[in-house]
Amino acid sequence: MIELIQQIIDGLGRGGIYALLALGIAVIFGVMHLINFAHGELITVSAYTSYWLFASGLNWWFIAPTVIVVAVLTAVIIEFVAFRWVRGAPDFTMLMTSFGVHFLVQALFVMYVSANFRQFPRPGWIFDTWRIGGLSLEVFDLAVIVATLVTLLGTYWLLQRTMFGVSLRAAAEDFDTARLMGIRSNRVIRGAFVLSGVLAGVAAVFWLMRSGQAGPTAGLNPMLKGVLAALIGGLGSLSGAVLGGITLGLVEVLLISRLPGGTAGLTDGIVFLLIALLFVFRPQGLITVRRVERV
Amino acid sequence: MQADRVRHAVAPALGSGLLFLFLVAGSLLYAATGDAAANSLVTQMLINAVVVLGIQIYIGNTGVLSFGHIGFGAIAGYAFAICAISPERKLRQIPNAPFGLAEVDFTPLQSGLIAVTLTVIVAFLIGLALSRSGARSGAVAAVVITLALLFVVHEVARNWIDLTRGGKTGLSFSPLGNATLQGKLPIYLILLGAIGLARLFKETRAGRLAQAAREDDLAARVMGIDPAVQQMIALLLSVVVVSAGSALRVFELGSINPRLFFFDYTLLTLTMLIVGGRNSVVGALTGVLIITVGSELTRNLSEVDIQGMNWLLRDGLTDIFLGGAMLGFMILRPAGLLGDWELDHWSLRRLRRTEPPPVPPPSADGDKTPTTVLKVTNVTVHFGGYQALADAGLEAASGEIVGLIGPNGAGKTTLLNVITGLVESDNGQTALGGVILTGVSPHVIARSGLARTFQNFRLFSALSVRENIGVVRLVAKHFRRDRPLPPVGALMAQAGLWEQRDRRASELDYGNARRLELARAAAAGPEFLLLDEPTSGMSDSESRAMIDQVRSMAKLIGAGVVVIDHDLNFITGICDRVYVLDQGRVIAVGTPAEIAANPAVQTAYLGTAE
Amino acid sequence: MLDIESLVTRYGTITAVRDVGLTVRAGEVVCLIGPNGAGKTTLLATVAGLLRPSAGRVTLDDADVTGWAPDRMLRAGLALVPEHRRIFSDFTVRENLLVGGITQPASRRHELLDEMVSLFPILKERLSAPAGYLSGGEAQQLAIGRALMSDPAVLLMDEPSLGLAPVLVDQVFDLIGRLREGGRTLFVVEQNAKRMLAVADRAYVMRSGEIVADGPAAQLAASEDLFETYLGQSGGTA
Repeated sequence: MIELIQQIIDGLGRGGIYALLALGIAVIFGVMHLINFAHGELITVSAYTSYWLFASGLNWWFIAPTVIVVAVLTAVIIEFVAFRWVRGAPDFTMLMTSFGVHFLVQALFVMYVSANFRQFPRPGWIFDTWRIGGLSLEVFDLAVIVATLVTLLGTYWLLQRTMFGVSLRAAAEDFDTARLMGIRSNRVIRGAFVLSGVLAGVAAVFWLMRSGQAGPTAGLNPMLKGVLAALIGGLGSLSGAVLGGITLGLVEVLLISRLPGGTAGLTDGIVFLLIALLFVFRPQGLITVRRVERV
Repeated sequence: MQADRVRHAVAPALGSGLLFLFLVAGSLLYAATGDAAANSLVTQMLINAVVVLGIQIYIGNTGVLSFGHIGFGAIAGYAFAICAISPERKLRQIPNAPFGLAEVDFTPLQSGLIAVTLTVIVAFLIGLALSRSGARSGAVAAVVITLALLFVVHEVARNWIDLTRGGKTGLSFSPLGNATLQGKLPIYLILLGAIGLARLFKETRAGRLAQAAREDDLAARVMGIDPAVQQMIALLLSVVVVSAGSALRVFELGSINPRLFFFDYTLLTLTMLIVGGRNSVVGALTGVLIITVGSELTRNLSEVDIQGMNWLLRDGLTDIFLGGAMLGFMILRPAGLLGDWELDHWSLRRLRRTEPPPVPPPSADGDKTPTTVLKVTNVTVHFGGYQALADAGLEAASGEIVGLIGPNGAGKTTLLNVITGLVESDNGQTALGGVILTGVSPHVIARSGLARTFQNFRLFSALSVRENIGVVRLVAKHFRRDRPLPPVGALMAQAGLWEQRDRRASELDYGNARRLELARAAAAGPEFLLLDEPTSGMSDSESRAMIDQVRSMAKLIGAGVVVIDHDLNFITGICDRVYVLDQGRVIAVGTPAEIAANPAVQTAYLGTAE
Repeated sequence: MLDIESLVTRYGTITAVRDVGLTVRAGEVVCLIGPNGAGKTTLLATVAGLLRPSAGRVTLDDADVTGWAPDRMLRAGLALVPEHRRIFSDFTVRENLLVGGITQPASRRHELLDEMVSLFPILKERLSAPAGYLSGGEAQQLAIGRALMSDPAVLLMDEPSLGLAPVLVDQVFDLIGRLREGGRTLFVVEQNAKRMLAVADRAYVMRSGEIVADGPAAQLAASEDLFETYLGQSGGTA
């Protein structure tokens, strides 16, 4: 029992980060029907930023907010350079465009930085544990859970209570009608990228605290996790994305603890397989957004 | 018939041969002038060409984006290596391999066949999963499933150390890790096969049906095409070619490790495919050439030292080139350089000039075809809380032209959608000649003898007029054998589209596009043509001409007609009987004259003053 | 107020609106009637900026607004109530209205919200209910209220009575009558021609992408051959 509670907390710690990434992907899918496979590049850029700032002698207190700002800037630049030009294009074109951005950014880092991973120090407290009863809680997991909660509540407030949030949701539900209400396409799409950048930035801080390294492919794993979580949640749905992220985190932790020794390296593969199976039987994801095709 | 064989077999086969000769001659010349490095570059390029052609067979014909083909390549590569590496080396590298695989000893040819067979079996299972997920052009589910394949294969290859020796070292054929492929003959043979297969598949029945579904999945289904079957055929063929190419690649390199068939190779092959044009075989090869040359140039450039340019000319330029090419083409020219153009299309121009206009065939004899009745009864449909149809129905007999009119929102198109299986009704029944078609999938309904047109065109837009009609006739030849099926040329002439026969459907103007919808539906050899607003957007004179066109088309194929329209001139001029729908109910039935005089009909259209 | 001159709209190779000209003067209710597929909705979508015209001019208060994007059109004073209402069904009624007023300063937005609530008492009780649960008639009122939240100079309406039960159709025409009395300028596309003509000042009849008749609404309503004109039976003009 205690073991299960422990695993659930671990899972929430993992899932929280996935939820933030998935939410960013869902926000962008909502306004422009694009699956952003380049979302991980925000993490890559953040990772190098952290590395350079560490090399300049700065600490996490300065680095964390900087990383968020950098992630936002990167998101806005990617939108401006690439995604703006394929708005409304066929799905095939948009999918390949986002993969193209993913590969191009990766190549830029290989070329101008290095193909190798660079290490930077992780904060000391992330290995601390608290013992409560039989539970040993990693401080890091708790920090992630709290930060995720705060970020999600902030996002919820933003979406529900501000005019920006209302216009973003309006654009996600019906883009043309939103334009008829006076919502500017460029502005609302840029806003969606800014929001996804903030969410990715927060996720990046924690992801990097745990991994402590920067490399051209640093964003691949978080991107896949985010996309998968968003897919589980049904892509268009924001609450679905959050649920998808948490589900993914829990499943992973439970799998790792239950897989026989020697196969733990297969966790990612098994998770991927499960999600592929989900898609075979429920192509719309767990949470279905109903769309009627007009003939 | 003769011209058809030239178009779909002889010319493509000759074109493929020519393409192969160009490619081989070019690469031999280059290899002869260069050193060993040039030679190996050419070999790699030809092998990549095989893999890219394999991917083209699937993505090009079905439009389904697959990231998993390199995963198939990995399976084939490992299967080949594990079979072909000598037992003596295997006992050193993977002594604990399961099923006694360490001791087996096969020739490279046998190993290749085993690798292809095994991979095709896996592909069959993946194909079933894809069709279950409803794969179609741009489908997200297909991307996820194929990506999962790529990842799972990669993870297994990294972790199943007993079988694959894991990720660090991989398996190798010789202690030095040298190339083991002696001579290029196997490459040439497989390349020739791949070019021929890819080019000819485009012209086969399965290939053409898959392309129709790529252009419009829904229209394909209501024309009697089951896209899942065509996609499966395309997938299996494509995997045969990809696995052959991958086995070659492993043999040529003399070793395999998990990274060899993963993201980098996926990027390389997809970029090659997209740059040249994914819908074309010559396009795919052009892409291979451009990307190979480009990569080589950028690789060389990154080594030169020019003052002030070193920020640009450095290691990694090649990857930038690849990523940039993919992104640039998607933004600026998503169809690639060549679109769907093929080498043999050149030769067809002459064929086209000499093509004699078709002789109109005799109309189907009304006495020979027995009278069939289409009977739709008690159809009720709700969309959420909105009642679109309430107990609506209609009846039509073959030879008859029945109109369906009513104001906007009356439920006319919904009724047509229910009949053709696109919308499920709450209750009610469709019966054609006594056969009940309710609850049956759209493609089966189409094969049973109902063909429709769409109010907002759903033509196969990248296909030519000839192909739009031809592909539907291919289906009809299979399922509607007992019906009069006029040749494609006659249908085009009948619809007044002879002059436009080789233009793309997307280039047609409004009236011609409408007439093509009509001709395409007629090509399905139906008992009944169901026409949704055939004159909408036409001028008065065009819609008057449409009366004759619909009549003679129906006569040509001996079909009855149910037609929705708002133009009362047209309806009066063409219909034997008219049904009037209002708010989902049939409010009147009668001859056009009776309907025009019926006050309830006027009220339905114009509303009441108070 | 709103002037449309020789407007042409094409979709690819399809010309849906051919050389259409019409005028809506301040304080007038003008309607555009015609059969399905005549190009009415395309015309409205072009005027509202959702589609770009291939030729012609749209002027609003003598300012040339041809080809402007919808958000700019809205700021210039042109609001559209789209066909099928298109309310944001995941939103509450209140949020729907607020989106409509997104171009207004916050204080003005809340004033307008109060105005709408008094104009549409039904919505008052439902303010925090999800709009997806509204009935067809309520949803239509919400769609109109949402468009009015931008305080437009001209309100465009596309098929406001479409898909409504007869008693709700009455409500919609009552509402149009009330808006007219309130001095609003309306340009309405409608299929219920007789009812529409009864509340409109002037009318245009459109068929096959062209205006085939126009005149004072009362005169068109009284015309013997309206039905024929409307459906193109004789191809004549009124």
